[in-house]
Amino acid sequence: MPVALAVAVMAAVPGPARAADFEAGKRKAVPCAACHGADGNSTIPGTPSLAGQPNYFTHWQLIKYRDGRRKDPQMTPFAANLSDADMADLALYYEAQRPRPRPAATDPAKVTEGGRLAALHHCTSCHRPDLSGQQQVPRLAGQDFDYLLRLLRGFKAKTASDLDGTMTMAAQPLREEEILDLVHFMASLGSGAP
Amino acid sequence: MRRTTLASLLVFLAVGVALVALAGAQAPPTWKQGQPANLADSTLAPIPQPPAPKAPGEIPVDKIKLPPGFKATLWAHGINNARVMTWGDKGTLFVSSRTAGNVYAIVDKGSSREVKTIAKGLNLPNGVAFRNGTLYVAEIHRITKMAGIEDKLDTPPAMEVVYETLPKDVPHGWKYLAFGPDGKLYFNIGAPCNICIPPDTHANISRINPDGSGFEYYAHGVRNSVGFDWHPETKDLYFATHGRDWLGEDVPSDRFDVAPKKGLHFGFPYCHQGDIPDPEFGKGRACGEFAAPLIKTGPHVAGNGVEFYTGAMFPAEYKNRAFLAQRGSWNRSQKIGFRVMMVTLRTGDVPKYEVFAEGWLQGGDVWGRPVYTKQMKDGSLLIADDYAGAIYRITYQR
Repeated sequence: MPVALAVAVMAAVPGPARAADFEAGKRKAVPCAACHGADGNSTIPGTPSLAGQPNYFTHWQLIKYRDGRRKDPQMTPFAANLSDADMADLALYYEAQRPRPRPAATDPAKVTEGGRLAALHHCTSCHRPDLSGQQQVPRLAGQDFDYLLRLLRGFKAKTASDLDGTMTMAAQPLREEEILDLVHFMASLGSGAP
Repeated sequence: MRRTTLASLLVFLAVGVALVALAGAQAPPTWKQGQPANLADSTLAPIPQPPAPKAPGEIPVDKIKLPPGFKATLWAHGINNARVMTWGDKGTLFVSSRTAGNVYAIVDKGSSREVKTIAKGLNLPNGVAFRNGTLYVAEIHRITKMAGIEDKLDTPPAMEVVYETLPKDVPHGWKYLAFGPDGKLYFNIGAPCNICIPPDTHANISRINPDGSGFEYYAHGVRNSVGFDWHPETKDLYFATHGRDWLGEDVPSDRFDVAPKKGLHFGFPYCHQGDIPDPEFGKGRACGEFAAPLIKTGPHVAGNGVEFYTGAMFPAEYKNRAFLAQRGSWNRSQKIGFRVMMVTLRTGDVPKYEVFAEGWLQGGDVWGRPVYTKQMKDGSLLIADDYAGAIYRITYQR
């Protein structure tokens, strides 16, 4: 529940006083590596990879964890102490990492059906035809199977955090087997990296 | 007879399509809805909101072009996604945001400004209005208030619900909120789509008493108005409206309208800009049934802020002129908007409509998006830029 909160009073010169810093991002990503991998490619089922995620996407998600719109027992305490500059640095660092597809045992029939559904439900309009994401929209190609499944089920149940309502609306018509088909398809895709 | 039947069938089908779209079945994302098949490969898409405000060094305030004698300075910065501004009784400037989910309080320290975040994690809290020591905040689904907020900026009081029987639709669900001359709180409930037959509860400007009682619709057929003001002398309501997308590069025009009385219908979704029937939903209806726009403000310009000037700093001819902040286009190859226009209403003549401030668009590149204005006590004018997370101050010296 959104509750009015006073946060640290910003000084007379708030906001980023400088452009995002890649080296600082690399340093600040050290505590994240335990779960997300040193280069942003996680090996833990259920934990998303951050490598190759669009800068705006990672930054917006961190903002939402910090202000409580997105909640996770592990991420919430991490994000609580991040400054705006920390977020900008981390987002820049992860965007520059090369994504590797997560191992997944996908069913070819479900993959084919999922590909059809991705076009039918306009997933590709925002996530791009290869599901590599853009701007505030995440990369889905080669993402962790369990994570994708949890999120898509969450959007359908209207319990997952959404930046602007688009995903919650998009997930409403999906039946459980269609969610599975879509996840098989997304997880089957190469990372989309050249 | 046959024609009538066909028309009714079309309306019936259209309602069906609209309902299916609302249920979300295979509906494209809202911004893409209504895109014709021949534009399916279009790369046009809404400009994403940056997640962080720009640093002062990244804000080229000298690029803002104004009439002779006017000057722009960077008044405040580091305000993520700064949108609507409203003054507290004791001189605090309250500033809303949309996707950032925050409400800010800005305390003017003379040579600098202190920015405090007084609420966060809210549901697109675009609307803020202030009256009798109380700040009112409009999110998508509810209106809340914080009593005595100006004395408690560092320990804000809990948000108390004023009204929460509002649709939860996100598309065009964010609100402008303002007190009318009748002391009522006015806000918009936008169409939950680019183009559709909206439910009866949507596409309007509504009002309630400040205690949450007496809800009523004030204006109908309003697709998405997130800026309005009342004329200082006639007390009539004037408002800006965003037109639909994907009808063309140069149509339909956005609008600037006047609603001198309750109950007028402004045409959505049947008629756009007063004279273009919607190709799908306009059948069987005529533009003449609806209130015509006072000004066609331009295609896709995205008119947000509306404010009548009542200050003493600007030249005398500026008195009672309306400033229209236009956040700028996305659904057009050649960008348009990204400017503040001004309107001079003239008895017995069409209004004069001209540029006041521009320069946020340089060639095809956007560095800022003026979204709302707010007059200061001394008659200078603040302009909020949600893209840069900044507020500019416009002053005049003869």
